[in-house]
This record gives sequence, C-alpha cells and structure tokens, in this order.
Amino acid sequence: MVVESQRVEEFRLTKEPYYLPLGNEVELFEAAYHARLPVMLKGPTGCGKTRFVEHMSWRLGRTLITVACHEDLTASDLVGKYMLQNDATVWQDGPLTTAVKSGGIAYLDEVVEARKDTTVVIHPLTDDRRVLPIEKKGEIVQAPDDFMLVISYNPGYQSVLKDLKHSTKQRFVAIEFDYPKPDLEETILQEEASIDADTASKLVKIAEKVRNLRTHGLEEGVSTRLLVYAGQLIAGGVEPLEACASTICRPITDDVEMQRSIIEIIATQF
Amino acid sequence: MTFGPNVGNVGMYVAREMLAAVPEDQRDAYLRMVEGISDLKYQLGVEVARQLPRLLAQSDPELVARYLSQVTAVAKLGWKSGVEVAKQLPDLYEAPDGELADNYVDIIEHATTGIAEDAETTQLSAELAQLEREIQEMEPKVKRAQELRTQLAAQDRRDEKRKKHAVELAAALPPLLARLRPKHRQVYLEQIQKIAGADPEASLEAADTLLDLLNGERVSSDGAAEWVSRGLDVLERNKEVGRGYFRLGSKYSIEVLEELREGLALKSIARVLKLYATALSGRDVAIRSTEDSNSLEIYTVDHIVLPPDMRVFDEERQNFAAYKVATAQGAGRIEFGTYQFSLDDIPETVDAIRIKYWS
Repeated sequence: MVVESQRVEEFRLTKEPYYLPLGNEVELFEAAYHARLPVMLKGPTGCGKTRFVEHMSWRLGRTLITVACHEDLTASDLVGKYMLQNDATVWQDGPLTTAVKSGGIAYLDEVVEARKDTTVVIHPLTDDRRVLPIEKKGEIVQAPDDFMLVISYNPGYQSVLKDLKHSTKQRFVAIEFDYPKPDLEETILQEEASIDADTASKLVKIAEKVRNLRTHGLEEGVSTRLLVYAGQLIAGGVEPLEACASTICRPITDDVEMQRSIIEIIATQF
Repeated sequence: MTFGPNVGNVGMYVAREMLAAVPEDQRDAYLRMVEGISDLKYQLGVEVARQLPRLLAQSDPELVARYLSQVTAVAKLGWKSGVEVAKQLPDLYEAPDGELADNYVDIIEHATTGIAEDAETTQLSAELAQLEREIQEMEPKVKRAQELRTQLAAQDRRDEKRKKHAVELAAALPPLLARLRPKHRQVYLEQIQKIAGADPEASLEAADTLLDLLNGERVSSDGAAEWVSRGLDVLERNKEVGRGYFRLGSKYSIEVLEELREGLALKSIARVLKLYATALSGRDVAIRSTEDSNSLEIYTVDHIVLPPDMRVFDEERQNFAAYKVATAQGAGRIEFGTYQFSLDDIPETVDAIRIKYWS
C-alpha cells in the first residue's frame, strides 16, 4: 500500500498578505496559537476573515490549508480516502490530515455547511487530546504543537436547519469580525484598490448607507470585498456610477426596487 | 270502455259507476248529451249525468229528448233553477198525470223570468247600458290621467328637492370659494355650473370634491373637466350613482381620477423612497401620502409625508428627483431629530446649557 501526501510546501505563503487590524484580533489569534487552542472566526461575508487567516499564517510562518466547506463535504473528504491508481490501492490524505501531519493551519471556511459527520472528526482535534482519528486506516494522528484548527462561521446565514451545535461552538476561541470602521475601511480601500482618499471615502459612505438596509430586504450589507472590487474597477477606468452598480448594487440583491434605491444612494456620492 | 280525447271534459262529471249503469250501445250518446248540457254550466252537466242513466234505461228516446229540452230551457233563464229542475224532472215524469212535469217546468220558468219589464225600466236599463259603455270607453283616459297626475306630482317633488338643494348650494359655495386657489377659480366655477344645471344635489358633492382635487393639485384643469364630463354621463343614467361619483364614493370615479392624473404617482415609487430614506437615516422610515395623513401625525413619528403625485416637471425623471429631494430632507429631519424636541425637555436642556457655558 502506498501513502501519498500532498506537497505541503505549496501551501506556504511567501508574500505578506495585506491586512489592517481592526482591533486586537492579531494578538488574540497569536495567543490562541501559542496556547494550542482552536479559533472560530465569526462575521459577515467579505469582512476579511479569510484574509486575516492568510495574514496570520504568514505572520506565524505556518502553511495554510483552506477548505471551502459545502453541503456535500464529508468526513472522508477532510481526512482522506483510498483511491484506485493503476493496479494499486492508494491512500490519499485529505486536507485536514495533511495540515495535521505538517503542523500547519487548517482553515475550514463556512464549516456549518459541511455534513454533520465532519464535526465528529473535528472534535478530538479541538480539545486537549489534539488527535485526528483516521477510521478507515485504524490510525490516530497526534497533532504537533504548531498545528492549529481555524473555522469560520457566519451567524447571519444560520437557520434552524443549519447551525453549529453548542458542543462544537464551545470548543473554540471566537474572534468576532464586522465591517471595518469608516476610517479603517477607507485605508483598506486605498491600499487594496489603489484609489485616492476621496474615492475611498465616497465608497465607504455608500457602504454605510447601504448597510442600513440590512433587515429591510437585504440579507447582508455590502462587504468590504465588494468595495475593493468597486475601487479596482474605478481605478481601472470604469465610470464610478457603473462600477458601483456592478459591484455594490447588483451582486447583493435581485429586488428591482432595492436596486433602484441603492443606485440613488450611489448617485448621492458620484 | 275508456274515456279518450273525444270525450273532452265529460270525464270530470261522469263517474265510472254512472257510465256502467248506461246500456253499452247508448254510452257514446250519453256522453255527448252530458257534454252538450255542460256547455251551459258544468254543474248542470254533473246533475244531468246523474239522472240520464235512469231515463236511458227506459229506452225512450223521446223522453230523453224532452228532459234535455226542458232542462236546457230553464237553465238558459237561470242555471241554478236548471240544476234543480234537472234533478226533479225524472221523478215528475213518472207521475200518473203526464202533464204534471210540463206544468212544473212552466212555473219554474215564470218564477225564474219574473214579469216583463215596464217601459220605464227598459229605458233606465238602456241608459245605464249606454253610460256603462261610455265609462268603459273612458277607462284608458282615466288611467292615463292618473299616470300624468303621478308623474307631475313626482316632478313637483323633484322641483321642491332641487330648490332645497339649490338653497344648500347657495349657502355652501361661498366658503368653498374662499378656500379655492385663485388659479383654479375659472375651471372650478365652470364645472360646478355644469353639474348644478344637471342636479344641484350632485353639485353639492362635487363642489367639495373638486375643491380638494384642484387645491391638492391632484388633477389638472383639463383633467377636472374630463372627470366632471364622465360624471355627468353617470348622473344622466342614474342620479344616485352619479352623486356617489361626485362624492368620490364610487370605484369608477376613483379609477377615472387615477387615469387622469399627470406626473409621477407616489404609490409607484413609495418603496424605493422608503428604502432610500432608511439607508440615508439609518432608521426604519415610512413614506406616507398627504392624502393618508392628518396634520398631527406628520411631525410625531419616523415617517416622511409626501404629495400623492409630483407634477412639478414634465419629465418623470425630474419629478422623481423632486421626490428624492423631499425624501432626503425628511430623512435628515428624522436622522438629526428636528422634531424630537418637546417642552418637557426644556429644564434638562437649560441645565445642560448652564453646565456647558456657565460652570
């Protein structure tokens, strides 16, 4: 039997990802890492959770293996599975096993979307045992000290059908994210989209107003990521009103009246 | 034997046992005799049907013919006497004195007829008959006269009502004219005059409605004329429905008004403006039409009151911009609490100012 692991070094970041701290999240994350505690990142879409993990991965010098969870993701997909290769049966480590073995950061994005059996795999990794049972191989992998499990969780998406169990939630150190404060968001936009301060300020003002429409028909406000996109389009020469309509308005709602009101808000700035 | 269609109504008078009592070869003749006498009066048919089987049994056609003839003769003078004679005659025919039955019939005929009329009675009868003929001829005219009387009375009542409503209009119009904006005076007066000519009561309703429509800029001069014109059509068909139209109490009236409205209707963009104001102010803002709000409500809660339609510009885009400006102003008022101040806050405000500037 041949065991094949993915090449872990491919997951090491070589360039510092830009991240502007919004509070004490960097210190908190570092403290959790050194205490070998798992971390849960909570916050709306596009507020910088993934970028934060990337930044911390670079900062801590650890490899980062990200898994975008979806409703068909099973424990086998995370841990690994036997595969047929020519005439042999080959064990293929899953991303979680790879991260555990290499002592990197495993980041399960939107973990609540995955199938319930994944939590069975996660639990032993998140308490003081820090082990990963590989049931199919009858093997238990002890996580090294520099391994860290990070999950992200968007409370706004949860429903009675999909939510993390308390027995899962209470295994993590939670770091809560929200949209950055206006001055910080402006700085992020200038940095990420290479736009001037005035344009950044206008985009942030639009975002502030549009975010007021949450609970009035919008599931979520416009994200910092979308503002960056808008800034990038503007920087690329797209007329500001059109750039904003394409990034701030249309992606977040299909409601025609909502779209029109958002366009009017954009028009107050551009 | 069964009764067929040729028997006519005889079956009503002839019971089965009566027919059974008649010799079979005479049954057809029996039925025809009964039918013939029944033509005079059906009660006669019933009695003759009872008595005839007894006479037919005697196989004496002359006796039967004599019976029918005498009964018919008396019945023509008086059918009730005829019935009684039909009942008694068969017994009298059996009397030893063969003339007894004839004498009996003579007496009954005389008794029924009475003495001959004298000349005066004849004249009176003739005069009465003539008068009755004339009365009969007059009947359609009398009926028509009654109809005309009813119509004229109704007309009089309507005239009275019209005058009463004209007086009411005379009293109501001056205060309404005082409220009317001068620029609408001409069209208002023209239209009210038209309606008043058709129905003063409807004009009373219209005077009030049209004032609000014109003053509230809900309809243009041409729109007002069209609205009145269609209302007059309704009024012509049915006064009550027409009055409801001018009161804006009918669906059709409101539909016509909606159709005639120019500019941008608030209803069509209310949600867009609500979302716009909510986004600007960060508060849950409601958009209300001036039609739906009373003055006390306007400054007390988080809502923005706007006109039901905007006709400041010719283009919809510009009218929308006008709405937007008004909404933004309202959103600012809500966001910064322009109308949140209350007299109860004065002591607290004074204290705050004292601390800030004199301490």
